[in-house]
Amino acid sequence: MTKLSAAILQLLDQPATTRLVATTDEFGKPYAVTSPFLHAGEGGHLVHLELLEKSATNRNLLRSLWFDKKVSVTLVAADGSSFVIPGRPVKALISGPVFRGYYQQVRARLGDADLATVWLIEPEETVNETYAVRKLEEEERFPFSVHLDRLLVPRVNR
Amino acid sequence: MAETAAPKTRQDSLQDVVARYPEVPRLIIVKTDAQRRGVFYTEAALGILDEKLHQVTGTHIFGARDGQHEARPESLLLRDGTSIITTPTPLEENPYTVDLIDGKLWLTDAGAPVEEVDYWPAPDFYALTSSSGIPMKNIASARPQRLNIFPYRYCTFWNNGNGCTFCDIVCQLKKGKEELQIPARLNPVEVGEVVGEALREPGRFSAVFLTSGSITSGREPFDDEVDYYIEILGEVGKHFKSNKYPSQMIGTAFNERQLQRLYDETGLMSYTADIEVLNEDLFNRHCPGKAEWIGYREWKRRLVAAVDIFGPGRVNTGIVAGIELAQPHGFRSEDEALERVLEEAEDLASQGVGTVFIVWSPRPDTPLGNQKNASLDYYIRLAKGLHELRVKYRLPIGYDDYRHCGNHPDSDLSRLLPY
Repeated sequence: MTKLSAAILQLLDQPATTRLVATTDEFGKPYAVTSPFLHAGEGGHLVHLELLEKSATNRNLLRSLWFDKKVSVTLVAADGSSFVIPGRPVKALISGPVFRGYYQQVRARLGDADLATVWLIEPEETVNETYAVRKLEEEERFPFSVHLDRLLVPRVNR
Repeated sequence: MAETAAPKTRQDSLQDVVARYPEVPRLIIVKTDAQRRGVFYTEAALGILDEKLHQVTGTHIFGARDGQHEARPESLLLRDGTSIITTPTPLEENPYTVDLIDGKLWLTDAGAPVEEVDYWPAPDFYALTSSSGIPMKNIASARPQRLNIFPYRYCTFWNNGNGCTFCDIVCQLKKGKEELQIPARLNPVEVGEVVGEALREPGRFSAVFLTSGSITSGREPFDDEVDYYIEILGEVGKHFKSNKYPSQMIGTAFNERQLQRLYDETGLMSYTADIEVLNEDLFNRHCPGKAEWIGYREWKRRLVAAVDIFGPGRVNTGIVAGIELAQPHGFRSEDEALERVLEEAEDLASQGVGTVFIVWSPRPDTPLGNQKNASLDYYIRLAKGLHELRVKYRLPIGYDDYRHCGNHPDSDLSRLLPY
């Protein structure tokens, strides 16, 4: 398990951050959904609250836990910076004080809502997918990938 | 007299079976094996058991494999949210061991860690006492998401010695009455009071579950049992704003009039009548009371009739898997047993009745107490087979799944189904 950086923890604390969880089904078909409650848990896990028992995401997360498959979490900040965190679901809580606390949080925020599973996802790495950062990396590592018109000397109109 | 000859069973290790069935989650195989072999708690594991935090053995309607009545962990949770429902088992029977490793609970085998586990969390109402002074945990009990009511702890099939050969309900009743002061017959109003208190805990319960021993008396046989259930469910139902609420009852196989009453007069949403073993000859031998009062074919017919009342995917039956191999009358091989059991389960599934199994735990106070249950390979093949029937006939099992029961490896596999 990799440790979440201070920058990621800060991003997870920001209400304006968009959070996505991507999973795959048994045929490898990808399925990405927003995860509005996603946050960092006490043990260094990412915590995804799944509200619906039979949702594709809940079933895919279970399949990943059962058969040791990876999932992916994406965070997008209000300023456009974004991070992708591949990981593995390692625990599903359906009862007990932690579950109860989240259940009450969900209902306080959404009203008459339910909570199916509290998923603990172990992060494996963090990839900075912010365009400006990735662009610089790409141009440095793959200089043959650019379109030449971008490299031309600017013409001066006479 | 006890039956002793052992059937032909495979002797594979957990690793062998995990490797043989890559399509079955390892966690479900671990759970099944732990239920098959039982567990033994070390002193260190028992040392962190805290009645305020964890569920300790409570209002069991059935006994433990080691025959002891002590405060021990009710059961275990795996990290996928699945329960291992098992009882303390003597070390000489080769159970898994629950031990403390680096401050965490682990299921271990021969000293090697197998899976991290948790004790079941204690519900709030366990700390309370009813208005008549009875500890509420002696009136209702809990699973991680289910509220259990065992209103009548006697089974009248035992009146003439015709109790099921694997069942220790009456022996357990005597122990519970003497050692735990658990009432044999619960007062419906008091049950309602306890249920009301239990339901105050946010996010704890997603189903109410009711079961008791059979009561043969009444104008028609079992009318008294039905009346009692209706009375209890009436008190429970007072707490809900909807007429129906997520609930399951395991009862005797009632006739259509009785089933219709249960559906019309209560909030009950699903119905289970355990046939125990899917073979007429073995049913007659192992369930003589059920055979005497209803009969195998009629039991099945009533299950099918219940589908018309409760709806498809709301009726099932349970089997105590492994007793079909008990000797000298059981099947001679696991292959034969599997084929015959699944054949009968398919007949029921094709008519809308699901089948779930529990792993038979031979209990000391029963005629079959000195026999062994089946191999892990057998139980995994049975789980796969019953799950595949559920897929083939599109039978939902949401009322008897890992959240609402947790005792059926086959319905654990159905967690991935979209229905």
